[in-house]
Amino acid sequence: MGQISATFGKTVKEFLRQRATLFWTIAWPILWVLIGSFSFVENVPTEIASYTRASIAISMSVFALMTAGMANLPGNIAADRERGLLSKLMSMPIYPWRDLSGRILALLAFSSLAALLVTLVGLGCGARFSCSVVTLVQSIGFLLLVTLASAGIGMLVATFVKHVHGAVMTGVGIAVVTAAVSGVMTPYAYLPWLLQQFARIYPISSSGSSIIFLLVGEDYAGYNPLSANQTTLTALVSLLLFAGGLIAYSRFCWRKE
Amino acid sequence: MDAISIEKLTKRYGDSVVLKGVDLKVAEGEFYALMGPNGSGKTTLASIIASVRSPTGGRVEIYGRKPESAKELIGYIPQENFSTPLLTGRENLMYFAGLLGYSRSDAEKTVDELLNKVGLAEESSKRISEYSGGMRKRLEVATALFPGIKILILDEPTTGLDPSARRKFLGLIQELRKEKTAVLLITHIGADAELASRVGLIDEGEIIAEGEPEKLKKATDLRDVMNIETTTKSEKIFEVLSRFSEKKRVLETDTGYRVYCEDVEKTTPEIVRSLNAIGCKATKIETEKPSLEDVFFRMTEKMVREVS
Repeated sequence: MGQISATFGKTVKEFLRQRATLFWTIAWPILWVLIGSFSFVENVPTEIASYTRASIAISMSVFALMTAGMANLPGNIAADRERGLLSKLMSMPIYPWRDLSGRILALLAFSSLAALLVTLVGLGCGARFSCSVVTLVQSIGFLLLVTLASAGIGMLVATFVKHVHGAVMTGVGIAVVTAAVSGVMTPYAYLPWLLQQFARIYPISSSGSSIIFLLVGEDYAGYNPLSANQTTLTALVSLLLFAGGLIAYSRFCWRKE
Repeated sequence: MDAISIEKLTKRYGDSVVLKGVDLKVAEGEFYALMGPNGSGKTTLASIIASVRSPTGGRVEIYGRKPESAKELIGYIPQENFSTPLLTGRENLMYFAGLLGYSRSDAEKTVDELLNKVGLAEESSKRISEYSGGMRKRLEVATALFPGIKILILDEPTTGLDPSARRKFLGLIQELRKEKTAVLLITHIGADAELASRVGLIDEGEIIAEGEPEKLKKATDLRDVMNIETTTKSEKIFEVLSRFSEKKRVLETDTGYRVYCEDVEKTTPEIVRSLNAIGCKATKIETEKPSLEDVFFRMTEKMVREVS
């Protein structure tokens, strides 16, 4: 057992045992998949309804990942800080990067579980994906970018919002508002021009659109997010957000007063 | 070699000077209590020794090494309850074993021993959220008892514990002395500090006195302390009681007053008479020997802890 696996185990257990975390990250998106799959597809031809359901399932999987990274991760860090665990860790021979790696791996595991459950419910509701092994692997890559960008925002929240409830609410607020205005919750085509530009820059919505493009089709994505420029932008902004979060966390959360 | 050696330690936060050149030595296996009121700098001092904060100036050594390079020797228990409520007692200790680099099998063996040592073996599968305050604190102390740790720093560990949990907890700390672990206890409770072999009194960032508890008490001219419970409290009662104490040393407490006097036997009837004369009834009068809190009050004219 190393520091990374110890932190991983502790964080995963906390995520899985916290009812609020389970509700907002898994139950809530599943609820929307259920509502969306049966409410918004009335009088729609079966094939289109199946793809619409697939699109909803992907959007809700992305939203689950957003909530996990932006709210659960900072909530977990803020709770550790508030109850003095970070002080205790600072007094021990521990490397901050190992602590963070354990947390990020736990987030990845929990996010994967959330995305898988949401997708399975989508399939159960009649969602139909048209994918190959290649597009599936590419989609997993974009899901990873969503997790990295969300974790980056989450670490920034954890660094600058000190209290648990503040950190969680800030994270949920960012997740809900940005999902609403960037095309995660609303079809890209229905967004006004300005928000469409934001949806392309915001790496979480552009990753979501990329996955829809890959697994459902261009019509459902609203634009082609897989152009070389757009994909580079999505990856770059995701990595920048993650790097920003990493730097903030390791510099300020572990800084000695 | 001293377990902890501190010379001219200073700490500033902006214009505020929290530690003003503190000198302190704790020998290997010694039980040292640092007692002072809130804001006196004792927690800052503990956190500097534990590498959680940086000093502004001065020197800190742990067995001759800088604190940052001697972290494996220190078991620091901060004031807060840092254990994770959603994990069981065993899972919490396994987490710390993992952080310290134990293999799974070694971790399980060591954690079993630690749970036995702190008397929580039977409660180890319960989540921390189901633990009482005393159990939680004992579990947290266990995180600082992994083999190799030679200095235990406890920051106000008994705050908030009921008398029974406090007794059990302090008993555990006394047991650790047999293992030659140096203990630095940060407290504002005189009775806790009296268990130490040496006590330092800290006020406004300076150690104002240091020594064995009994010697510290003898060094002051305090003789007896009288606790008087009264039906009411007023300025007038305070004035009356002040007459019976040299230098008017009287404290208001939750239930009445604490009077520092010269000769209890002679003074008690006179106090009762004087209180009756102003229409106040003393419902209970107890005398006791001065505590370390009284010594602190004598030296600084300040109380170590707020009357709660």
